[in-house]
Amino acid sequence: MQFEKQVEILAPREKVWKFIWDIDRFIACVPGCKDAKTVEDGKRYTATMVEKVGPFKVEFPTTIDVLEREELSHIKAQASGADNKIGSRMKIALDVNLREQDNKTVVSFVAGVDILGKLAALGHGIIKRKADQVLDEFAQAVKTTLEGDQ
Amino acid sequence: MLKRFRLEEPESAAEVSELLGRFGDSAKIYAGGTELLLAMKEGLVQYERLINVKKLKGLSEVSGENGTIKIGALCTHHQLENSSLLQQKLPSLVKLEQNVANVRVRQAGSIGGNLCFAEPHADPGTLLMALGAKLVAEKISGKREITAEDFFVDAYETSLAADELLTGIRVPTPGANSRSAYLKFGYLERPSVGVAIALTLDGETVNNVKIAVGCAGPAPRRVAEAEALLNGKSKDEAVRLLPQAGAIAGRASEAISDLHGAQDYKEHIVGVLLKRAFNSIVS
Repeated sequence: MQFEKQVEILAPREKVWKFIWDIDRFIACVPGCKDAKTVEDGKRYTATMVEKVGPFKVEFPTTIDVLEREELSHIKAQASGADNKIGSRMKIALDVNLREQDNKTVVSFVAGVDILGKLAALGHGIIKRKADQVLDEFAQAVKTTLEGDQ
Repeated sequence: MLKRFRLEEPESAAEVSELLGRFGDSAKIYAGGTELLLAMKEGLVQYERLINVKKLKGLSEVSGENGTIKIGALCTHHQLENSSLLQQKLPSLVKLEQNVANVRVRQAGSIGGNLCFAEPHADPGTLLMALGAKLVAEKISGKREITAEDFFVDAYETSLAADELLTGIRVPTPGANSRSAYLKFGYLERPSVGVAIALTLDGETVNNVKIAVGCAGPAPRRVAEAEALLNGKSKDEAVRLLPQAGAIAGRASEAISDLHGAQDYKEHIVGVLLKRAFNSIVS
């Protein structure tokens, strides 16, 4: 499943970039994400992703690896996790790009999300919709947090 | 493999509500089990306790009084397809029930369980919406009625509170001029699209039009805009407006692309089914 989102933030690029690497504040914007820890600064992080569709709950202990990093403009990362209780795995390939436009920073990201295992029984459409909702909430939360800092 | 669980067997709705309140997310109501047990066997959900409601009295009957048809939440699909009252008063619901899933599901599965599980590809909610049904929810502190529109929140999600249980369905008894139909289409066991329409035919004029679409999206939806388009129109005029109403209903279905079909395909089928359903009750 491929998702493309773009969010315009009324804040300078440096500030947005700094925010992305402030793991605690950043993770607070990811719906259902908790217990974020830095394993190796700027390279590897762990967190737990908790999501719910009706009575179905998943909890993915997730490892996030930063694969590429271009100061102030680009991040390529990969997140993967498994819920052994339900027997499902999740893999997210994330590309984030930042660019300045007038007095705003445009953050665009492309997320390739793969869900494997029993969770897929819920149906591709339902999972896709949920993932889309999570990404929208995330984008909105980032915007609200950063613009609220003004 | 089904994991071990404790089975509670309360004898009243109040007791069920108390157990739900006490055990929260670790307990779940068990009626027919046709959806729940499959999900549990798959390991998709796990509960420490199942609250068997099958022994509750008075929730397995269909009756009619004061202009309302009352359907107990524990009525099985098989019971509903064979109810003489429904055959007489709500033939569209009988036809729907005759075609729910397969004979094993219809024998064990209950209408209440079907509605509460809120599986997106379930049939009954869509027709009940068009029929103007209200769902009765009970808990220790009281009872309330929820319109079918307000009951379905999202895929697998209803507006029932954590300690509430669905005890019955109330459908206004259709008048002599009332007509309704539910049509579905799918090539897998669960339907891709379901469309319901209810209206009154006063001479050559269609009134009180209610349209609902289900299965295509996360939950059944009423389509007020399409209803308004057809309401109060002559039969012929309504027929001319059906493609437009179908397109509106297709968009309102919030169709999701999945193995049951692509979004635009489902939206198209909504229009086709709406036209067929309308013609089947008006022609």
